[in-house]
Amino acid sequence: MSKGIPRSIAELPTSKVRYVGERVPRIEDPMLVSGRAEFIDNAALPGMLHCAILRSPLAHARILRIDTRRTEAHPGVFAVVTGEDARATTAPLATIPDGWGVHCLAVGKVRFVGEPVAAVAATSRYVAEDALELLDVEYEPLPPLVDAFEACQPGAPLLLEDKGTNVVLHRKFTWGDVERAFREAEHSVTEKFRWNRLGANPMETFGVIAQWDPVEGTLTCRGSYQTQGYMALGVSAVLQIPAHKIRMISHPHGGSFGGKGGTRGTCIAAMLSRKAGGRPVKWIEDRMEYLIGGAGQAWDRHYEASLACKRDGTLTGLRVTLLDDLGGTPEGAGAISAAKPLTSFTGCYTIPVAEYDLTLVLTNKLPTGPYRGMGPPPHNWVLEHLVDRAARELGLDPAEIRRRNFIPKDRFPYEIPTGNEYDSGDYAAALDRVLEMSHYRRLREEQAKARAEGRLVGLGLVSTIEPGVFDWNAYAIVGVPMIGVPEGVSISIDLFGKIVAKVGFSLEGQGQYTVAAQVLADYFGVEMGDVRVVPQDSLAAPPHFGPGGSRLGVALTGALLGAAERLKVKLVRAAAHLMRCEPAALELKDGKLQIPGVPGAEMPVAQVAAVMLTRSDLLPPDLEPSPEATYVWTAPGRTPADENGRAKSYLTAANACHLVRVEIDRETGEVKIDGYWIADDCGVRLNPANVEGMIQGGVAQGVGAALLEEYAYDEQGQALTSTFMDYLIPTISDVPQPETAAIVTPSPFTPLGAKGVGEGAMHTTPAAVMCAINDALAPLGLRATETPASPQRLWKLLRTVSPNR
Amino acid sequence: MSQTTAAGGPSAAARHIRVTVNGVAHEALVEPRTTLADFLRGDLGLGGTHLGCEHGVCGACTVLLEGRTVRGCLMLAVQADGRSLTTIEGLGREGALHPIQQAFVEEHGLQCGFCTPGFVMSVHELLELHPDPSDEEIREHLGGNLCRCTGYKAILRSVRLAARRLREARTSGTMPPERA
Repeated sequence: MSKGIPRSIAELPTSKVRYVGERVPRIEDPMLVSGRAEFIDNAALPGMLHCAILRSPLAHARILRIDTRRTEAHPGVFAVVTGEDARATTAPLATIPDGWGVHCLAVGKVRFVGEPVAAVAATSRYVAEDALELLDVEYEPLPPLVDAFEACQPGAPLLLEDKGTNVVLHRKFTWGDVERAFREAEHSVTEKFRWNRLGANPMETFGVIAQWDPVEGTLTCRGSYQTQGYMALGVSAVLQIPAHKIRMISHPHGGSFGGKGGTRGTCIAAMLSRKAGGRPVKWIEDRMEYLIGGAGQAWDRHYEASLACKRDGTLTGLRVTLLDDLGGTPEGAGAISAAKPLTSFTGCYTIPVAEYDLTLVLTNKLPTGPYRGMGPPPHNWVLEHLVDRAARELGLDPAEIRRRNFIPKDRFPYEIPTGNEYDSGDYAAALDRVLEMSHYRRLREEQAKARAEGRLVGLGLVSTIEPGVFDWNAYAIVGVPMIGVPEGVSISIDLFGKIVAKVGFSLEGQGQYTVAAQVLADYFGVEMGDVRVVPQDSLAAPPHFGPGGSRLGVALTGALLGAAERLKVKLVRAAAHLMRCEPAALELKDGKLQIPGVPGAEMPVAQVAAVMLTRSDLLPPDLEPSPEATYVWTAPGRTPADENGRAKSYLTAANACHLVRVEIDRETGEVKIDGYWIADDCGVRLNPANVEGMIQGGVAQGVGAALLEEYAYDEQGQALTSTFMDYLIPTISDVPQPETAAIVTPSPFTPLGAKGVGEGAMHTTPAAVMCAINDALAPLGLRATETPASPQRLWKLLRTVSPNR
Repeated sequence: MSQTTAAGGPSAAARHIRVTVNGVAHEALVEPRTTLADFLRGDLGLGGTHLGCEHGVCGACTVLLEGRTVRGCLMLAVQADGRSLTTIEGLGREGALHPIQQAFVEEHGLQCGFCTPGFVMSVHELLELHPDPSDEEIREHLGGNLCRCTGYKAILRSVRLAARRLREARTSGTMPPERA
């Protein structure tokens, strides 16, 4: 019988590991570099129509009248839908917390600029957009609410009148005796912070082709779905059709980072297809729609936070007050982003007690959605900034205060005050590696010289946790009731020994198909090219989630190995029957089932599979002729959350230490990054090249967060960032090229010891860059506490101490 | 209603154009407002030219017009009348990637791959102009192509490798597989 899922690479049934852990080229890439991947906008169906969506130009207004007559009469138009159709045929969108949803097309009033008001299906996108211009909508403006503090006040205009408040949630969570920690603190620091909205902006926007079958009453949606199975559930609830009548087909997509969205667009396209008699309807979100009305805005936050410590730098308590501006509705999982910091609330440190005063409020802005990191990146910046301030005020080096407070490497698994358990780590080792790589002492000496010359040079050194392998229970405080995130794989071997792995997710960029091929090739002793990974639609795939929450590498590996072990058991039974031995006498190694120590007593896996498929007469009568197996993995040992949200939630805790050197131009406020060093510990690296790509990509997005990216709204709630000329994505000249090192502390809880890695640099880079900026500003007595630290913001800040410059 | 052009049926304003794309001559009737990218993707079925922003910033729709980069979203199809274009589909052939494509694969110069065709076309132009580019020249030339996944480090490595391979190919007289 099987020994269970291998916990280390060494346990794989091969005498020489050829692929797992190696920098193998990705099997996805030849198709992608050739431009032949079927991204959703490359797909077309016979008779397909094209959708264009009319969006609200106002942040808050009543809809008095919509006249669709001229639009309907326009040649080439097949269907028009408005809020009236949505009200009549659909339910409000799901929200977290539950019960704050609106319809996918505005009913009665609009709550943010960019909210869908009506939509058209026509013979081409050009014709559909022509027809939109013929729609006549009359609005009565209402007072817009764009300030989160004002939105909390009694008497503020209400977004959802029947709720009687804009405050979706207000609760204080206390873990331990925080009062006492601050009362007895020998020193404490307090700061206010502003993290402005930013977001995912994958290079491909969302797109869908929805096709209603009016005879069967079914819906098929092809789209750039990050999590097709969950999208099917959401769409089922909105369109009021049972989930088994909805088939979601996820196409390769051009990135996501959480910010792909798609619920509204899918429901609108489905309504149009239904109204057009079942013609397929394609909707491709354009970039302007994405920027003002898509799923690309996250983390609009106002913080006030305090850190208590002893004079020797020992950190004794953390208090965080967060006012999180969710925008128009909580439909986009913005609340989850405010809950996730519980997974790593006190960072890498042994801070024993903590408090979280959390308010979620609605304003007349786009509903916030998920973004890489899902909430902790701003929290990490707050914590690391406070640690730096404490160090500065206590006369300690930032490296020293961190080292003194790190969770020691011999205390894992370690439970933090908010209840999550870190699996393993060696935070001092990562820190030391960075100090060594960067010649930290020398950097400090150079900084002292630069400061003597009046230059603003700063070093930012931060250590963070990347919670990996997400679990729903981390979001219990905002009303998510589930535990466990199943991920399934079915594998089969054909009569030539070739392997097919069926999964429930499509390509997104992280290279998981390659990881699947690596694992199966080493397990069954074949070449990577002998493995094909085939995505299944939401009805055909085993239970699945797909990429998200730094989880899929670990979860997929677990599912693959679980399925492989199950398949091995079948193969062993067949082979034992054929070889006339006991199953227990056989072992799998190097692609053969063999009796150890008996030369020649072996059968290749391919041969066993071939017999199973072509000579059932030779099989034991109770063995089905099926060389295939399915396994659905979920993280072991997850626990229900208590009323303060304490739970074992994310399975892994990766760690990174980043050091950044910056110089601020006193004349322009511009920040130049001229040195960057990283030591990262994400456990065992299944494909180091993939890992390095994840880290470097996260650095780029982190630099964007710290220096460039911000969704701006004016006082009327008008979106000011509607193109890539206004919303600044880092270019090849903006992103530093860090020197990197790997530290490896395998996870004791995961298959092969890997940890989640997709979000780590995004958890770390914004904090590191902001800490470096603050280090540069320290001699002037200034502190930068708003992101992004744009030239304009820093220039204004610098003017406060030298107004004549 | 005919759907012969991306803009719906042909109107009285539709124009006949002749273009050569990846070595194949095409004649087509297009609406004046049809963008080059929509024409390539919709009318000619060349889906490798991706649309990331449609306002000229991201560079995903970069193609070569007479060997020089243009943005398919900022140009109209009628403006290409009488001219030659190369798209990502014109590079490489069955079983043999173009050296630039091969370099991106080997150096992990892509993740989701959506921006990659645009990058490959921009690199193609760069390496025609500067067969041995400095990192500064690479950055300068690729400043108009956005990638949200990679952080560009692996793209820089890919371009360096592609430059070396193409120089070696020129020295040895082997032509890279492409159809202009």
